[in-house]
Amino acid sequence: MRKTFKTFTLAKRNMKEIVRDPLSLIFLIALPLLLEVLFYCIFHDLTPQFDMKNLAPGIVVFSQSFLTLFTGLLIATDRNTAFLTRLYVCGARSHEFIFGYTIAMIPLTLVQTVLFFIVGGIIDPSILGVGMLRCIPIALLSSILFIGLGILFGSICSEKSIGGVSSAVITGQSVLSGMWFPIEGLNPGMVTVMKCLPFKNATDVMRLALTGGGDPVKDHLVPILIVAAYAVAALVGAIFAFRSKMRSKNT
Amino acid sequence: MTAIKIEGLRKEYKDVVAVDRLDLEIGEGELFSLLGVNGAGKTTTVKMLSGLTIPTAGDAVICGRSVVKEPDTVKESIDVSMQETAIARKLTVDENIEFYAALRGHTKDEIADDKKRVYSVFGLGKVAKRYAGKLSGGWQRKLSVALALISSPKVLFLDEPTLGLDVIARRELWGAIRDLKGKMTIILTTHYMEEAEALSDRIGVMKDGKLLFVGTKEEMFEKTGKENVEDAFVSIVTGGEEDA
Repeated sequence: MRKTFKTFTLAKRNMKEIVRDPLSLIFLIALPLLLEVLFYCIFHDLTPQFDMKNLAPGIVVFSQSFLTLFTGLLIATDRNTAFLTRLYVCGARSHEFIFGYTIAMIPLTLVQTVLFFIVGGIIDPSILGVGMLRCIPIALLSSILFIGLGILFGSICSEKSIGGVSSAVITGQSVLSGMWFPIEGLNPGMVTVMKCLPFKNATDVMRLALTGGGDPVKDHLVPILIVAAYAVAALVGAIFAFRSKMRSKNT
Repeated sequence: MTAIKIEGLRKEYKDVVAVDRLDLEIGEGELFSLLGVNGAGKTTTVKMLSGLTIPTAGDAVICGRSVVKEPDTVKESIDVSMQETAIARKLTVDENIEFYAALRGHTKDEIADDKKRVYSVFGLGKVAKRYAGKLSGGWQRKLSVALALISSPKVLFLDEPTLGLDVIARRELWGAIRDLKGKMTIILTTHYMEEAEALSDRIGVMKDGKLLFVGTKEEMFEKTGKENVEDAFVSIVTGGEEDA
């Protein structure tokens, strides 16, 4: 009970730190929203890639990649000051910190998901329906991946280097997810790489959850398991990195 | 009554001995200043005493509890203000206090009392609704030290609390620390000799991880034949060579 309370107290503080940073709101909400509206208006007549049923799920996962940047930045800043040391003195444990950072981002993920689908639905009402609800648990799962990566990078990188490292994830989500361009013409080796990484799997399974259809195992279960595996690996890596970094700082 | 009893405390980092067999007793309600040049081992000592760093050898008993065997229990009766400002920058002063008090397990009523107490000591009430990150360096440092008081610690560690502050802010913080004297045991590490002179009941001088002197400032003057803490400190640290 005590531990749960500490985790939620930390999460509340972390969420306030994120939402009170105008830059984080711009990149987590405003920029993806702008891209959703802009890309639909410009390109949806030219290619099905930018139909709202494909664009909105892609935008949701793309917006989550910025969670890596801002989670990492918050942790790197907390590490750089004596803030985390102070919290250690009052008995907070590493796993409470990790869950505190993770839980803080979940409401943001929900806001992103609901907002981008509602705006998408206003622009193209054909995507409105029960499919949106199916997307929420998938969005939560993929958000854990990006948050875990943020905690991992925030634990091992400095405030200055976190931007560069996180941009690799944001670029990875843009380029390797197939959200901005069709992958049919790509080199088969490249497609295999994309299928092994979580970015395309997260995007594809979200699209199918929205529209329905596809093979339950090959098109739904396997991508979900791949994303879940990466999410667990990122979170476990984050716990070890955070623990080891705090131990090396204080021992 | 003894608040802190340190016996043979030692910390090694690879081939560097940061603190070397420290033996010291500090009484309840005493304000003890630890002086030393950079790398003397002051901060490492504070970290070991506050359970943040595990000693290589030796032990310290704080309020009857061992920092080696019961670090979590020790943490319940101490608090630390490290030399870096440790605040949540995008939380208001009020929210910082609420956050830290909640982490310490305080109830809503207790948190209201915490605010009154902290505001009365540091005068933070006038900036209560401002974001901590927007405050001046002096106010941020005051808040950082104030947060360490929320748990009403029996032992408070202040690691260079006035580092980087202007002379006015430093004097204001001295006043606040003076108000705390006698209410809790305070271990103060500092580079500012006049700070130690103005505030301390006793002074310890460290060099290369070793405690070279422990006593009142009067005993310091008597030992070195000097008339102020700075000259006496230099004499102790250099072994009197600067007089040659």
